[in-house]
Amino acid sequence: MFKLALASLWNRRGSVWLTVVAIAVSTLLLLGVERIRVQTQENFANTISGTDLIVGARTGSTELLLSSVFHIGNLSNTLNWNSYQYLQQLPGVDWHIPMAMGDSVQGFPVIATTDALFEHFQYGSKQSLQFQSGGNFATHTNFTVAVLGAEAAAELGKTINQPLTISHGTGDISFSDHDAHPFTVAGVLARTGTPIDRGVFIPLQGQGLVHGDYLPATEVETTHSAEGHAHEQHAHEHQQESANEHSAPPVYTLSAVLLGLENRAYALRLQRVINTYDEEALSAIMPGLALQNFWRTLNLFERALMTISVLVVITGLLGMLTTLLASLRERRREMAVLRSIGAGPVTILGLLVCEAAAVTIVGATAGTAALYAVLIFGADALQNTLGIQVTASVLTLREIYLLAAIIGAAIILSFYPAWRAYRNALADGLTVKL
Amino acid sequence: MSTCVELNRLEFSWPGAQSALLSIPHLSLARGERVLLRGASGSGKSTLLSLIAGIHTTAAGQVNVLGHDLAQLSQHQRDRLRANEIGYIFQQFNLLPYLSALANVTLACQFAPARRHRLQGHSIEAAAEVLLDRLGLSRSQQQQPAHQLSVGQQQRVAAARALLGSPALIIADEPTSALDQAHRDDFIRLLFEACEAQDTTLLFVTHDATLAPHFPRTIELHELNQASGAAHV
Repeated sequence: MFKLALASLWNRRGSVWLTVVAIAVSTLLLLGVERIRVQTQENFANTISGTDLIVGARTGSTELLLSSVFHIGNLSNTLNWNSYQYLQQLPGVDWHIPMAMGDSVQGFPVIATTDALFEHFQYGSKQSLQFQSGGNFATHTNFTVAVLGAEAAAELGKTINQPLTISHGTGDISFSDHDAHPFTVAGVLARTGTPIDRGVFIPLQGQGLVHGDYLPATEVETTHSAEGHAHEQHAHEHQQESANEHSAPPVYTLSAVLLGLENRAYALRLQRVINTYDEEALSAIMPGLALQNFWRTLNLFERALMTISVLVVITGLLGMLTTLLASLRERRREMAVLRSIGAGPVTILGLLVCEAAAVTIVGATAGTAALYAVLIFGADALQNTLGIQVTASVLTLREIYLLAAIIGAAIILSFYPAWRAYRNALADGLTVKL
Repeated sequence: MSTCVELNRLEFSWPGAQSALLSIPHLSLARGERVLLRGASGSGKSTLLSLIAGIHTTAAGQVNVLGHDLAQLSQHQRDRLRANEIGYIFQQFNLLPYLSALANVTLACQFAPARRHRLQGHSIEAAAEVLLDRLGLSRSQQQQPAHQLSVGQQQRVAAARALLGSPALIIADEPTSALDQAHRDDFIRLLFEACEAQDTTLLFVTHDATLAPHFPRTIELHELNQASGAAHV
């Protein structure tokens, strides 16, 4: 009977193909969304590890997380250098990575930091950053050096020892370039699959230099008159002060500080200490917890996406239902012939259900194959254009459930046309007038 | 000679109809008999055939096919009886157009274990090929999709499907009305030969009185049918 159903489908392959394609596309979409959802969540959780606390000026945990880990958005509040020094001397602090943001290179965020980043920052399952070529800031004696994330290097087309111009602000197009201070690429990081890939890292002193915060003794005279602009976050009086003070800090304000502790168990207590710091309003967040909270807010979006793809699947299945129903009229003669050779109404019913199952199975298989084709051949394109990282791993249990649900839904739906055919078969008998 | 089909005091009317369409006191077809049932269009020929084939059941009276009272059988049993013992030939469009001629013929045995059994060890394909050979279709024609065959060839394929596995009864519902005279006579001759070889009863229904001389027995439906409702349609 299954062979008969297939032969009948083959006879109507024109319209059947369209149904198969519709189901394949909806399967692809559903599985694709599921894939992206799971892998985004994974990538998301992998963006930072090993860091116990992120400290910034008093702000929401999501904002602090976004700016310090994802380099998205601008923190309007900053913490000052004194607070950074206070954080360093807190008991139990093992290492600290300062971060100052606000500039960019053709849309890639510039993060002013120290070599501690390359030494201590970890992502994924406690992996450290690796250099693809070149080395850290210490490999150069001057401060106008930069380390590029893998993606930033690739898209900017920069390799080591090439010059780099940093722009003020974070837009793609900036009207204020720091072209008086060209930077040199000191190193390129290996790909991590995290926002680090898109980062341009410069030493704090370099940041201070372009913004006029930090003036090495030899440059004091010339820079004083030459530098006209000031960073929005840096007040003018600071500039004046810095010229006079001898042991001036490289920058006066930081966006965030990542802290690693000797013992993870200190995190909660330290968080409390930092949050109640008197000199400045600070907030410390635990990245794992903040990531989870943030992911929960993205949940809504993810659910919307899932809903849309489920609706697309339903549309695909309804398309199949329509095709089946439309074909019934022209197939009444076929049904009568089958009846005449002894096929019972139940057989006719089974035939249609078989057809629907065959169409859906072929469609779902094609959709799954297309998914793997996209995963295998389109992974790079996805990574580059959308920043979504996906891998062609085997189907998860949940994905298998989804496929089964599609096929199951198709079979259930097909009972309607099948029942209509059954009724037709009973009423028409052998006398179909065409 | 044993009885193949027997009707007793059969009454039939479509649901909602004012008067009965069919009212047949008695009709009996013997095994191996070749009978022409003649009636005008709309006189209830097709209805009578579907009653004998067990597609519909009677309100009153008895339809006996090979000793089975159809009213006593379930839907499934009637389907099974039809599959095993009745070959049915339509006026036209007998074949599933997407299957080859041969596949259309072998389809007959798909639902009919008794027919497969009667092939006596020959494979279904082999038996179908022999039958089609006898009905004059070349082996290459047998492999063609049914819709590529001429109407005459299609009717012969339909006959082969009805005959395969030696069912007891062949019901032919105006099988020749789509054929010209030469093909018609040819078709009837082939059908007779095959029925004779298998000792199969043939109930041949037509509105065409010119076919009567071919048949040893002719029944006029309007003489048989006592119902008044159908007479003037």
